Amino acid sequence: MIGQIRPIRLIGPITKNKEQRTNMLPFTYAVRNLFRDPGRLLQTVGGSALVVFLLMAATALNQGMSGVLSASGSAQNVILMGKGSEESIERSEVHLEAEAIAATAIRGLHQTLGQTAVSGEIVYQAPLQIPGKDKAQGLLRGVTEKSLLVHQTVRLLEGRFPSPGEVMVGSLVYRKLGVDEEALAVGKVLNFGSAEFTISGIFTAPGTVLESEVWFERNDLATLTQRDTLSSVVLRLDTAEAEDVEIFTLQRNDLELAAIREDHYFAKLSGFYAPIRTMTWLTAMLVAAGAIFGGLNTLYAAFASRIKELATLQSIGYTRRAIFISLVQESLLATLTGTLLALIVALVFLDGRTVPFSIGTFRLSLTPLVIITGLSIGILLGTIGILPPAWRTLAPPLPKALRSN
Amino acid sequence: MSDSAYIHIQSLTKSYHKGKTLITPLQDLSLDVPSGEFLALMGPSGSGKTTLLNLIAGIDSPTSGLLQVQGRDLGGLSRAKLTRWRSDHVGYIFQLYHLIPILTAYENVELPLLLQKLSKRERRQRILAALDLVGLADRATHRPTELSGGQEQRVAIARAIVHDPGLLVADEPTGDLDRESADSILGLLDSLANDHGKTIVMVTHDPKAASAAHRTLHLEKGQLISGS
Repeated sequence: MIGQIRPIRLIGPITKNKEQRTNMLPFTYAVRNLFRDPGRLLQTVGGSALVVFLLMAATALNQGMSGVLSASGSAQNVILMGKGSEESIERSEVHLEAEAIAATAIRGLHQTLGQTAVSGEIVYQAPLQIPGKDKAQGLLRGVTEKSLLVHQTVRLLEGRFPSPGEVMVGSLVYRKLGVDEEALAVGKVLNFGSAEFTISGIFTAPGTVLESEVWFERNDLATLTQRDTLSSVVLRLDTAEAEDVEIFTLQRNDLELAAIREDHYFAKLSGFYAPIRTMTWLTAMLVAAGAIFGGLNTLYAAFASRIKELATLQSIGYTRRAIFISLVQESLLATLTGTLLALIVALVFLDGRTVPFSIGTFRLSLTPLVIITGLSIGILLGTIGILPPAWRTLAPPLPKALRSN
Repeated sequence: MSDSAYIHIQSLTKSYHKGKTLITPLQDLSLDVPSGEFLALMGPSGSGKTTLLNLIAGIDSPTSGLLQVQGRDLGGLSRAKLTRWRSDHVGYIFQLYHLIPILTAYENVELPLLLQKLSKRERRQRILAALDLVGLADRATHRPTELSGGQEQRVAIARAIVHDPGLLVADEPTGDLDRESADSILGLLDSLANDHGKTIVMVTHDPKAASAAHRTLHLEKGQLISGS
């Protein structure tokens, strides 16, 4: 029932002040529009959370892998490898005597307590087995105590350097072997072929591939792999330059050696993994593209159902710009909520997680770059993503839009 | 142009292309509407009534001819200027009310005032006065879905008059209402013209609604054919 019409008593005309007009729609309009259709809101927030999470994960993966490879090489170290096998230490063969010859022939190498920092090593990949568990591919390094002179990031967390019949394991080997951390505690055993080794110590080498390695006493590994050569000789420079080592390889071409700075070696390895990083991006972007198209479709539907309403606002005097800004606010609220959700999920499920790959293990971290990537994607989704549906909604001529169903 | 004409239209033509066909909904139309007049436009579907109403309201732009409202040539205004002009001078009343469903009656009426530089207190005074005027002060916090059709249209009228425009345009404002509600709305429009000097142009199919106006004009094929 309609009430009685009151006598007209309008307040007088508004004093117009063009300079002070705001022309903006109230923010509450954008906020309430979000909750108009909870299903659509859930789709938009969920879709943007998925996109942001995937691209953050891809960034973290690539950053983690690049980070571990670049941190593993030192500019102070030079690796001597067999000529022709510079691409892979594991395939390299270096005469045993090269270690001693390099230590005496090259001047200006690092010295500690009278010992020259030169370490002949055997690097090998082979299946290892924890008793009661399946075999898994392990990264093996045959070393002497001099290896600690060249790999200066290595620190013993507990136990001691391995003697014959023992191994020292990196703190992330359990991830590489896919076992519980407790299975690789000091005093436990692991098998290589038919031989059993007792774990004598656990070491760390933060942010490097060494943390995923099992270090054997060098003679043990030589015997088990039936090698009479080394894989490489690592030299730590003091006053010597990398060029000095290269000159040594030329002077002693009978040893058939090639020299490469350790950081350059890992940079080359990083290039080798570039296709994997590209694949990670591609996969993340393909899934993200699907989610973006889904989100756009949702926005199209959400805005298309409001063409008449938005036209009404224009007829009242709101400019298309003001309405567009309100739509952006609405879209940003949804996508930034999704971004926040993605950040929380990433913080819980991504941050600190370790990922094994063929030559080591890297840690995923929510670094500033990863967080900025997530936020940027969220903002881009909320602004650029809204352009096509907003254009479609605001483009029709006003009389036509007012008549739309 | 007569001295008292609030709306002055001379040789007004509107045409547009639909595919390859040129459509001319208004052809060489001339009309004067004095200030404070309540004018009804009638005619069959496709006669050009709504096109004329949209042109007068600054929703659309003419192809040729002169269209002046309060001495302002609307044909020469850009889209942005036309939008600003509407926000100051026009109140539009739609057949299906066109209220924003997520806003309360109060907030719907507030929309035109947000385009003006007014304090919250000034806005509140005007909104309550407009809602009081249409008899819905006690429904201020209700959303459109909580109101009847007649009440929704009265909120729409409150929204159209709250910023005190000189011109009200109404596109079949009673077309979706029962007789009682329609009469109430027509009485309200009559009051706005007679007591407050608003110039009202109303499109209607309903002869009873047209009889509430001061003058009725008939359109056919984009031209005025008679008046009463």
